[in-house]
Amino acid sequence: MWWYQYLSLAALFVCISACIWHFFRLIRLGKPKELSEKSGSIMRAEVYSYTTAMLPAQKESAYLHIPTYVSGILFHIGTFICLFLFFVFFFVDPLVFRDWLILAMALLLISLFLIISIVCGLFLFFKRIVLKKIRTLSTLDDYLSNLLTTSFQLVTAFYLIFPEEAVIYYYILASILLLYLPVGKLRHVVYFFAARYQLGFFYGWRNSWPPKKQK
Amino acid sequence: MEKLTKSQIDKAIALLKMPVDSKLVTHLNACVHCGLCAKSCMYYKVTKENKFIPARKVDLVASLYRRYCTLTGKVVPFLVNARELDEEMANEMIDMLFGGCTMCGRCVKHCSIGVDIAYVVHVGRRMLAAMGLVPESLQSTVDMALKTGNNMGIPTEDFVDTIQWMEEELMDEYGKEACIPLNEQGRKILYTLNPREPKFFPLSILAMAKIFFAAKESWTISTNMYDVTNYGLFNGDNEQAKQIAKRLHDEVIQMQSRLLVLGECGHGSRANRWEAPNYLSRPYEFGVVTVVELINEYIRGGRITLDKSLNQELVTIHDPCNLVRNGGLLSEIRFAVKHAVSDFVEMTPCGIDNFCCGGGGGQLSMSEYNERRLQSGKIKADQILATGAKVVITPCHNCVDQITQLNHTYKLGIKIKTIAEIVADALVINNTKNNEKKNNESDNKQYFQI
Repeated sequence: MWWYQYLSLAALFVCISACIWHFFRLIRLGKPKELSEKSGSIMRAEVYSYTTAMLPAQKESAYLHIPTYVSGILFHIGTFICLFLFFVFFFVDPLVFRDWLILAMALLLISLFLIISIVCGLFLFFKRIVLKKIRTLSTLDDYLSNLLTTSFQLVTAFYLIFPEEAVIYYYILASILLLYLPVGKLRHVVYFFAARYQLGFFYGWRNSWPPKKQK
Repeated sequence: MEKLTKSQIDKAIALLKMPVDSKLVTHLNACVHCGLCAKSCMYYKVTKENKFIPARKVDLVASLYRRYCTLTGKVVPFLVNARELDEEMANEMIDMLFGGCTMCGRCVKHCSIGVDIAYVVHVGRRMLAAMGLVPESLQSTVDMALKTGNNMGIPTEDFVDTIQWMEEELMDEYGKEACIPLNEQGRKILYTLNPREPKFFPLSILAMAKIFFAAKESWTISTNMYDVTNYGLFNGDNEQAKQIAKRLHDEVIQMQSRLLVLGECGHGSRANRWEAPNYLSRPYEFGVVTVVELINEYIRGGRITLDKSLNQELVTIHDPCNLVRNGGLLSEIRFAVKHAVSDFVEMTPCGIDNFCCGGGGGQLSMSEYNERRLQSGKIKADQILATGAKVVITPCHNCVDQITQLNHTYKLGIKIKTIAEIVADALVINNTKNNEKKNNESDNKQYFQI
């Protein structure tokens, strides 16, 4: 292993440790303390919160903003693919993939998907700059988080196609991203799931979720 | 505004530093500033002003959290827009969290992440309350409730007079056995009211008394504590909310009632059904239901008989946010209405997607925001007009008040009724005096009995 790989391993350790800290802090603080008499089913509401409630048809933030919604979904898929590959590349050198036609084709397809994902990331980035409504809401962290993630996808795509040339940039950028993740808004990777849990608990307790079908 | 003291700031920040559970930390860390919540907020939809975007309201509180409770915010505040709590910030918070949000929670349901924006706004209000910065008009409503036992300061004498007047009306219609029992210990139900009823809408009390009479219910009203409202839910002062909740709790115990029935008031029902046990730090020792659920129990159990044909005008429902989205009564409200009227149409959107009328969150108490409140109600007015309904039913007296004002402002030409009123209009009571009257009203009765 090279020094930049050790660096990224150290960053990964810091990142995972920090995310675990965030997670266990929530566990330690505990679920909402509720003394009123429960009316609905928390379990059913939680299932609804993580599934149907997330469907585009259920949320104005999705069906009123289709281009942004689709971009966001593709961008997130791209990010998770890159993180998955990051783990894979600790065990398998991307050069090895070239010896197998089917794997080489898969990498090419992933690279093509990442290009689409990068375009989506840039769309979201420029939308944030151009639209005053979102610009006034944005912090430096919002721009930085987007740029880091988009750049990581870009360098992953390069690394898949030109492993020898891109390897050092790939691991350095991965390290920066991993170190930044727990301190910036990217930590929503932890808090998103916690927020869905909280909503399921709140609405489930009061029998508001899942919504009743009207006869 | 006077300069904030260190003590004021410390009290406010303490609420962020000492969360009681994981809810606050979760929601303050979850927003990604996508701004897609904007169109779910009636204030933003009507004004198109960016300051009303729900995510910006969250960020007022979250930016303080980042500044005082996170390493990033302390070291590089410019990176995450971590803000100091100063006079400018406090003014902004008052205007947005008190004057620019009804905590209806519509944005919560539509948030791309699931941030409980209404909850964060409430925490912001608690911070302002801790600093003594609640708008005077709202605080005076709470003070009045604490001082007199009801938020409108109605003297007991006046209240008793109104009840006796309604009782006379009831007896005129149904005979001497029909009454409104006051302060009778040991009755099964302690019934509560929104003080707007004795003050402005006494016929609401009469309507519910008719239903109790028809159901042969054992019930009473306490002249000592009949107020279902709790504006402590809105001013953010949990200690005051607790005092008000405790007063009602203690009255149920003192009256030896087994069931607390919450009158038609959205926030009052929420405060007493869901929040009060948490304020009091213990579960209730008695049952508690909203009046809508009670009426449905009467219908389901055959204790009252309704004749839909007595309500023939086209009716629509306005879903109070605190009863439906935040209270789970979507089906219950429809059950009662569909059994009481013959022609019904839904608003679009409705149910848990419904827009707030604009009167929630204490807005009706804060006269300084009257113009904004009526402006935000334009969405509700348009929704009502689109249905073509002649009657709007809503089981919340604050909503009744706001829609009454919208009716006047936007010339809607509608009648506004509560569930008890529409059900009372459809009641069929086996009482000679009443039946004669009803027979004259409707020649073509089709009795509906469950």
